[in-house]
Amino acid sequence: MLAGLIKKELLALSRDVHGLAALFAMPVLFVIVMSLALKNVYEPPLRALRHAIDVRDNGTFAAEVGKLWAPGHGPAEALPADWEAQLRAGKLKYVIVLDEGFSKELAVLGSPGEARLHLLTEPGIDGNLFNALRAELQAVGGQLKARGALQTLGENISPTSTDTHKLVSAERYASGGPRPSSVQQNVSGWLVFGMFFVIAALANLFVEERRCGALARLRSLGVPPLALLASKALPYVAVNLVQAALMLMVGAWLMPLLGGDALSFANVNWLALGLVVCAISAAAVSLALMLSCLVRTQAQASAVGPVLNVLMAALGGIMVPTFVMPAAMQTIARLSPMNWGLEALLTVLLRGGGVASAAPLLLRLLGFAALMMLAAWLLFKRNPR
Amino acid sequence: MLAIQHLGYRYAGAAAPALTDVSLKAERGSVLGLLGPNGAGKTTLISHLSGLLDVQKGKVLIDGEPLAAVRTRTPTRIAVAPQEFAFYPMLSVVQNLECFASAARIPRAKRAARIAACVATAQLEHVTTTRADQLSGGLKRRLNLAIALLPEPELILFDEPTVGVDPQTRAFVLEAIRRLAEAGAAVIYTSHYMDEIEAIADRVLIIDQGRVLRAGTLGELLSEGELLLTLTADGISPQALREVLGSYGVLEPAGPAAQTVRLRLAAPHRPADVLSALDAIGARVQHAEFGRYNLEQLFMALTQRPLRD
Repeated sequence: MLAGLIKKELLALSRDVHGLAALFAMPVLFVIVMSLALKNVYEPPLRALRHAIDVRDNGTFAAEVGKLWAPGHGPAEALPADWEAQLRAGKLKYVIVLDEGFSKELAVLGSPGEARLHLLTEPGIDGNLFNALRAELQAVGGQLKARGALQTLGENISPTSTDTHKLVSAERYASGGPRPSSVQQNVSGWLVFGMFFVIAALANLFVEERRCGALARLRSLGVPPLALLASKALPYVAVNLVQAALMLMVGAWLMPLLGGDALSFANVNWLALGLVVCAISAAAVSLALMLSCLVRTQAQASAVGPVLNVLMAALGGIMVPTFVMPAAMQTIARLSPMNWGLEALLTVLLRGGGVASAAPLLLRLLGFAALMMLAAWLLFKRNPR
Repeated sequence: MLAIQHLGYRYAGAAAPALTDVSLKAERGSVLGLLGPNGAGKTTLISHLSGLLDVQKGKVLIDGEPLAAVRTRTPTRIAVAPQEFAFYPMLSVVQNLECFASAARIPRAKRAARIAACVATAQLEHVTTTRADQLSGGLKRRLNLAIALLPEPELILFDEPTVGVDPQTRAFVLEAIRRLAEAGAAVIYTSHYMDEIEAIADRVLIIDQGRVLRAGTLGELLSEGELLLTLTADGISPQALREVLGSYGVLEPAGPAAQTVRLRLAAPHRPADVLSALDAIGARVQHAEFGRYNLEQLFMALTQRPLRD
């Protein structure tokens, strides 16, 4: 009996072209577009940013700023006469201005009296990029200040002895796991989003089945509520697994062909990945079933699914990283099942975690799935028509 | 076969019960016609037999055994052919039949033969691979019928199975249902069409507002009560006409014409007495007919409203 009902569900789904497009094409497109669009977030293109240096100081250190800046940012352009207009229009990304007296200021022992080194950026520059440039310019200023102070004290030092670059190293630590990239991040995020998209597809078919009386007919033939719910859940779990395989393949093989980074499976714990995908699917499908039993009309089904999906994605860190959210929003984010799914995937795909490290999130997802299934069963029993 | 005894049901939060003290019997080899306007309680009654509602009050017995027990053991002894096209529009005719055959737990070995038999009964041979949503209204009705017949039920409920079909399909469906009863099934048939009920029902049950108003064979129902006399007369005022006729029985509305009246003749008066009395006061009778109620008149007299309300 269950096999017959599952076959029916798969046939119905296979003939729902729009539903299939939403389930498979939409998340794949999201992964491709977002990964390519955000490719440089993990490696900002500092050398590609058009910039100039306005040197108004004649001192010994004036030329040093450009020398220290160039290796990490490329050569500065000659300062255009209309540089202010170009900066406002975003044609020049930033201009470094060295005020007159900059070299003298460096030679003074003690704190600088006023700013002599200015970073002026175009108005629309990304906040993180702005902070990075400012920090780097502060480092350059600090390096030159140290050199100036040592010279004042009569120390004969080489220009490289105050270079702090070798003193500090920074990396996104992933141990033996894959190198973080926009693909690694986006595949995880949009895979979770896509898996939860079964809500709309499942709810629409369910409402239609109820409206036409087919559901009541199945019940009158003695099909138990749990068997009916299972016959709906299992095909969509299969759909979720196919979605996951497709998204991972797109990340691993298609993205490099399109000029993006490849999704890396270096040191990925496959058992943990499988368990995480299954747990996300269980949460998504059981939520879809509960909502299917709750909504009464096609209009409700069509509205509730996508709206809830987008809300959960926005709150859960799929669309906006949780770390940029205020504390209160971060607390709310931690209540979103999509956030649990995303964190579980990142644990496995990005942080090199195994079953043990993903276990708390797995349990949360499975607990949520059990709760939703129970609610679906109760709702369905209460109103089987 | 089916005996419903004093069945009562009230939906949660409803002010009035949907069913009150409903009793009926459906026998093998016969058709029970169920008449009732919208909101009469038909759907609630059908939902009980479909297993969608539990019995709150009274008893529903199948061959003396409680319905719930029968449904638990062999739910397919009772089938419902709902008014809606209760199948999957995106599946073909045969895929729909396979799905419901599987749900009815028809053994795999017998499934193909059973599907073929139902396809033949419903004369769907030429559309087995056609998607259900591409069938005409009549063919959809036949598919609805074929699905109901899959588990070879002993009791079948047809809920307005001829709504929106052409005359040929209607005749076909009625004939198929008649044959089912002749083959030994117990059939309950609800319809808004009185002529259908008159054509195929052996017994008729009229319900309204959750109560049984009348039950019996068609002959019993139509022969009960007083004779009806409907006449049109002139030569006297409508008021005088009504005054004269009022002394022979109870007047009923008969239509918009003031000179036309309908009289439920009280015993021991006869139609000839009325005609003589009218003749005596100078009234000229233009048209007169008398007889018992037909089913529609009986229904309207009992419920005070037409069936489609």
